[in-house]
Amino acid sequence: MIITNNPLVRSTYENAHGVLFVEGNYRDVLVQVRDLVHRRHHLITHPMMGSLKPNETPYRSVIVSDDPQKNVDVDSVLIIEEAILVFDRFIKTARSDRGTGSTEKMKEDFREIDLSLLGSALNK
Amino acid sequence: MKLEVGYIPIRDIRFGPESKVDNNVLYVNKRELSALILADEGIASVALDLARPGESVRITPVKDVIEPRVKVSGTGGIFPGWCAKVRTVGEGRTHVLKGAAVVTTGKVVGFQEGIIDMSGEGAQYTPFSKLNSLVLVIQPKEGTESHAYEKSLRLAGLKTAEYLGKLAEHLEPEEVHTYETLSVTEGIKKYPELPRVGYVLMLQSQGLLHDTYVYGVDAKQTLPTLIGPTELMDGAIVSGNCVSACDKNTTYHHLNNPVVEDLFSEHGKALNFTGLIITNENVYLADKERSSDRTAELCAYLGLDGVIISQEGFGNPDADLIMNCRKIEAKGIRTVIITDEYAGQDGASQSLADADAAADAVVTGGNANMVIHLPAMDRVIGSIDRVDHIAGGWSGSLKEDGTITAELQVITGATNELGFNTLSAR
Repeated sequence: MIITNNPLVRSTYENAHGVLFVEGNYRDVLVQVRDLVHRRHHLITHPMMGSLKPNETPYRSVIVSDDPQKNVDVDSVLIIEEAILVFDRFIKTARSDRGTGSTEKMKEDFREIDLSLLGSALNK
Repeated sequence: MKLEVGYIPIRDIRFGPESKVDNNVLYVNKRELSALILADEGIASVALDLARPGESVRITPVKDVIEPRVKVSGTGGIFPGWCAKVRTVGEGRTHVLKGAAVVTTGKVVGFQEGIIDMSGEGAQYTPFSKLNSLVLVIQPKEGTESHAYEKSLRLAGLKTAEYLGKLAEHLEPEEVHTYETLSVTEGIKKYPELPRVGYVLMLQSQGLLHDTYVYGVDAKQTLPTLIGPTELMDGAIVSGNCVSACDKNTTYHHLNNPVVEDLFSEHGKALNFTGLIITNENVYLADKERSSDRTAELCAYLGLDGVIISQEGFGNPDADLIMNCRKIEAKGIRTVIITDEYAGQDGASQSLADADAAADAVVTGGNANMVIHLPAMDRVIGSIDRVDHIAGGWSGSLKEDGTITAELQVITGATNELGFNTLSAR
């Protein structure tokens, strides 16, 4: 299941995979993933994929297991909690406001990069 | 496997009626080279420009930097899988135009990043300010999608470096360096008392603008493997990574990997440089698990005493770095990791996105969030209009007078995680 706030990921994959679309920002996606991880979904992709820092792109897509598993995966919990901490740290300490202040053309590019990164895991 | 690398020093670069190297000056025939580049149907136009050390020139957005090289003897050719057939390289003789570089620029995406200043404060932070550079400004045909444009740019850079490198084929080098890798058993017999040290080279491999290629193969499709260190010197590894300008490894870095260089120089003295393992940094968590498992197994299989691990990028590669470190240490092999830091503009925040008690020996390439001030330059090659939007820049970074206040991460190669630079911390 793909958790995303990227409309391009939704339109590309909604017929092939489960997509949970988040009407919100990068952090809202991470929080949604965290909630699922605590409900025994396991992380499939790393929530900090790509070299774009959290304050640099408005989009985020993460894959978790379709169904809740038998147990909570401790590694998944640690990774997603850490990702949220890193996000909060970057927003607090870095002055770059690229993510939310981007032009429409740049947002289009960010959507495409996010799709490509996710695709590198899905198209294996 | 033994490779001789001959240096032909280049002290100036100029355009001329004939491409040649004469008296340590590199002359480039613009027309001939442009035709070679324009043979790619995806490219609409190419502008060639020159940038020399000390000039008031700013190059941006930089995609890749490549050193011109040629194979003089031995199997294969430079950049196997791209410019030459996929034969194993790394032995015989290779000539290098030392002091010259090909720099590719082009806006693959709107926020394309990376600055090289040839003078002023910014020049101190990038090794590329010291090179006589041929800059390719490449525009794609209308409607070319980003993946295709990235590939065209990458190939144009490689083809140009190969074209220039060939000019050195019949020249007499001023310096020749010899690098020899022994087989595992030969190494043990020859240096029984020396610690066996390996190098784990992590390659960025996550998708558009985040890829690296090994003999033409996308690194994210590979399992960790052993590769001869001299194979890197012949272009077995090529960069397609354009994100995070300060800590991406350009093709130039792969050709001149300083960890490899230092391990060779200590080989037979302080240590026995036993092997080089390349591994990837994928977004899929199962890949991270699989690749770090394989890497640790290879280290144990080689009977290593110590391993140096270098990272590329930030964020989820920190997870790969720590997994590699933890699993190799768990085999009883000591590790040193090389990374860089995003510790905030005041340097006070935690610098990596992941950590582990096993990672107790760390070398840093510097703090990418450090704020720097760049003077205006007389000339800009490429386009400057996006500086406010690139990583490390912010609204107002680019002033009307052409000066820039931004974070160090805007500079190409500034906090390189191979330790190519002089920045660090204690």
